[in-house]
Amino acid sequence: MSDTIVKDRPVEGVTEALNRDAVIAQGAREPEWLRERRLHAWGMYERTPMPSTRLEEWRYTDLSRLLQLDGMLLAEDPDIPDDPSAFPAQLVETMNEDRDAAGHLVEVDGHVVHTDLSPDLASKGVVLASLHDAIEMRPELVERYLATEAVPPEEGKFQALNAALWTDGIFLFVPRGVRLELPVRVTRWISGGGIAAFSRTLIVAEEGCQVSYVDEVLSDDLESQSLVSSAVEVIAADQAQVQYVSLQRLGRGAFHQSAQRTLASRDATLDTLNVSVGASVARVDLNAQLLGPGANSDMLGLYFGDGDQHFDHNTSQDHVADHAASDLLYKGALDDASRSVFRGIIRVHPGAQRTDAYQTNRNLLLSGDARADSLPNLEIEADDVRCSHGATVGHLDEEALFYLMSRGLEKAKAERLVVLGFLGEVLSRLPLGGVVEKVTRVIEQKLVVHSANGDTRVA
Amino acid sequence: MPKNELVEGLELDDYKYDFVDDVKPVFRTRKGLDEQIVRDIHAHKEEPEWMLEFRLKALKIYEAKPMPRWGADLSDLQAVLEEIYYYVKPQDQMEHSWDDVPENIKRTFEKLGIPEAEQKVLAGVGAQYESEMVYHSLKEEWESQGVIFDSIEDGLRNHPELFRKYFSTVVPIADNKFSALNSAVWSGGSFVYIPKGVELGTPLQAYFRVNQERMGQFERTLIIADEGSRAHYIEGCTAPVYSTESFHSGVIEIVVGRGAHFRYTTIQNWSNNMYNLVTQRALVNEGATMEWLDGNLGSKATMKYPSCYLVGERAHGNILSIAYAGDGQHQDTGGKVVHAAPHTTSSIVSKSISKGTGRSSYRGLCKVYEGATGAKSNVECDALLISDTSRTDTYPYIEIEENDANVGHEATVSKIGDEQLFYLMSRGMSQEEAMALIVRGFIEPIAKQLPLEYAVELNRLIELEMEGSVG
Amino acid sequence: MSSWVRVAGVDELPAGELLGVEAEGKKIVLANVAGDLYALLDQCSHEDLPLSAGLLEGERLECVWHGAQFDVCSGRATSLPAIRPVKTFDVDIRGSEIYVDVD
Repeated sequence: MSDTIVKDRPVEGVTEALNRDAVIAQGAREPEWLRERRLHAWGMYERTPMPSTRLEEWRYTDLSRLLQLDGMLLAEDPDIPDDPSAFPAQLVETMNEDRDAAGHLVEVDGHVVHTDLSPDLASKGVVLASLHDAIEMRPELVERYLATEAVPPEEGKFQALNAALWTDGIFLFVPRGVRLELPVRVTRWISGGGIAAFSRTLIVAEEGCQVSYVDEVLSDDLESQSLVSSAVEVIAADQAQVQYVSLQRLGRGAFHQSAQRTLASRDATLDTLNVSVGASVARVDLNAQLLGPGANSDMLGLYFGDGDQHFDHNTSQDHVADHAASDLLYKGALDDASRSVFRGIIRVHPGAQRTDAYQTNRNLLLSGDARADSLPNLEIEADDVRCSHGATVGHLDEEALFYLMSRGLEKAKAERLVVLGFLGEVLSRLPLGGVVEKVTRVIEQKLVVHSANGDTRVA
Repeated sequence: MPKNELVEGLELDDYKYDFVDDVKPVFRTRKGLDEQIVRDIHAHKEEPEWMLEFRLKALKIYEAKPMPRWGADLSDLQAVLEEIYYYVKPQDQMEHSWDDVPENIKRTFEKLGIPEAEQKVLAGVGAQYESEMVYHSLKEEWESQGVIFDSIEDGLRNHPELFRKYFSTVVPIADNKFSALNSAVWSGGSFVYIPKGVELGTPLQAYFRVNQERMGQFERTLIIADEGSRAHYIEGCTAPVYSTESFHSGVIEIVVGRGAHFRYTTIQNWSNNMYNLVTQRALVNEGATMEWLDGNLGSKATMKYPSCYLVGERAHGNILSIAYAGDGQHQDTGGKVVHAAPHTTSSIVSKSISKGTGRSSYRGLCKVYEGATGAKSNVECDALLISDTSRTDTYPYIEIEENDANVGHEATVSKIGDEQLFYLMSRGMSQEEAMALIVRGFIEPIAKQLPLEYAVELNRLIELEMEGSVG
Repeated sequence: MSSWVRVAGVDELPAGELLGVEAEGKKIVLANVAGDLYALLDQCSHEDLPLSAGLLEGERLECVWHGAQFDVCSGRATSLPAIRPVKTFDVDIRGSEIYVDVD
């Protein structure tokens, strides 16, 4: 026996910027249903206590230490013209790497500043638009799916806050049978410190369509903390094939919070990749729902922490339907005093027979001050299943290192190769053009810093 | 294929310990719990004053702590705790010879095969009936070498300094709600001291029996295995089946000295009206090994996570856990290993079987503190599901602060394969026999570690349970 | 480098009691052992919960959450489930005010 005691705390999180008036202002020019939805969400936010470490799902992420909402301002419309020459340099640089795409969307501080889509796809009925435009263009879809089935405010404090205060977001619709050869690329930029930016993503994929979506969120290092909040809703109809990729490359000072849910119907394939390399604190909640027989979700994750970065990935695989499969692989390397929390659960609901569900979390500690906590959970309520999970925490593979060094590689290079090999397994399972190169480059940069610090304690 | 002799010899009742003995207690406290009852227990035991203070402090802490909101469903437990007897004294004094144990009680233990086992294979035997140890004996051979194997009360009385030095240092009062409750009302259990370098060739065994309806048993065991010693302690538990719930909450504290080797085996086969909430923890010093072999077969709800705190260099912890959850049972079990020194190693192997509406949950902790360089830990959990209404969960906590460590956890969930079953049946086995064979194969790695009589018992239980499983 | 901060008045901390205070973002627990004052990080080394809710008996601080015990003079853990020490701070009484060196 051991004890966990839950203590009541006063309701927190209502500030000079984040309050009911702000919600009303945000909804001022919106349709009635949306205004009501925002207010409903705000009510949930006020009623939900700020998560504390007494809550199992926040056990290792102490918001009272890591997040300071007081004093943050709501991100304002940057009023940037739709012209790359007016965009921040790093944003333009990233966009230039993403030329090959079915379409682009650029957001600054939660406000969409640019959208383009290949005319061919537009003629086939594909929609890539800001959420605000989508409310005009496809009101029935937005009303049906926005913060309803996937990431409703009832899910938690941050989900409620986002549903109440989102400024804009991304809407992608792919009609029945349409297949996109190139990915849709979204770049989201955060311009500075001291702000709270709320963005949503809604992807609706109709029967038998195929689409890849790459979201990249980034910023410079921030002089004061900003909250970067995202809600991601991905709905895949029967036989649809969807890949969702999130690259988080925010600067230090950012608190990144992303709540994601994927709904996969019969025979749909809905794969995700979450890469966390930036921000000071990053919390990702990802829930995959396997709702139809034959549905399949590969869930991949990769993180590399250094400095005092804190990553918290909270995943769940809900097998509601029978004969569905899910396979999760999250791998991370942690340097300096960085810290990662992986918490994952496979839930096989009663009747979900013939489920195949797997979950693996592997961590590499590169420094004596780094820390990794791993909580891979299973809850199985059907008997005819194949489920397993595994978690490891360890240090660099000395044998591999020794082998490489015996072949004449200097130690720093050998280390880099071993770490890249370790993390590369994740990328090799979702080899989307541009993503692998970009992530590899960021990791290599971090490894150069690591080698310079010489902090590795390989015996 | 010859018919299994074990199956043929079976009686048809599911739980062979379901018999009630006609034993009138010499004293019991009134139902429920308050300060006066704690004082009454203390007075009856003629303890030193510091123990009263300890008990009263524990009562306050117990009352202040909320019920756990995780693990087994304890929503009805508060009502049970208000209706039970916390202290039931079955006889006036503890005996050291079977001949002196009252006939009725002796018959109970004879049915359980205790005197016979003592003669054959044990170094010492203790038997607890309701709240008190009614019998304790140790073979002369070991007594002369300075081994102490006594009731916990005699430990406090006869070895006050040793007792006080270690009592409640491994499991403090406030560790959890039920360690606090035990600290307030503890009665019975063993006090064991194995002197430096002494190696016990055969096990010590304690047997725990609850006979009376609405009874709470709160034994407390303190074991000190001094440097370089080696011993094995076995406990078994049974109770009759009543329509009302009973409650068992033990606290086991073990200090394993430098280079010592200690194994603690529990085979819990409480009746399925028993709440079984137990805290078992060992402090493992330099170069020492602690092994927990934990079998949870009975009870309505069990919450029990034997722990090894590896505080000395090269200390080793080993936890083998086996759980069986049949209809209406929830086994929330597992183990904890805490690595707090360099080159400490640990292993947890857990096997669970769930059948009918049974639920087994593995809950475990592997923690490696910064500085525990070279620590290694491996956890393997396998769950077998027999019915589509059974449930299994796995909740490991892995907390690693040291980069020079290797920690792994693996868990699998499976059902009995149709192909396997079909193959065995094509060889002439009935479906029930085939299932029993597969289940036995599944738990074999742990069962083979058990003392023989318990291994036989486990097999018998599996065969009984498989009989009803083919629908 | 030392950095002394006033954290409480002497009259706020009677003998035999604990007091949780905050200084420069650090949560600190003060203990008054028969007139001698001690300061420790207000965070149990077992599960990071506040020690200021605990009990002080002589020089022994008992964490209310899971019963871990610490020696308030040295911060040393004296009972499981804690193993690691808790950080201590220097304390000074200046007039009627308690100062802690938060360094």
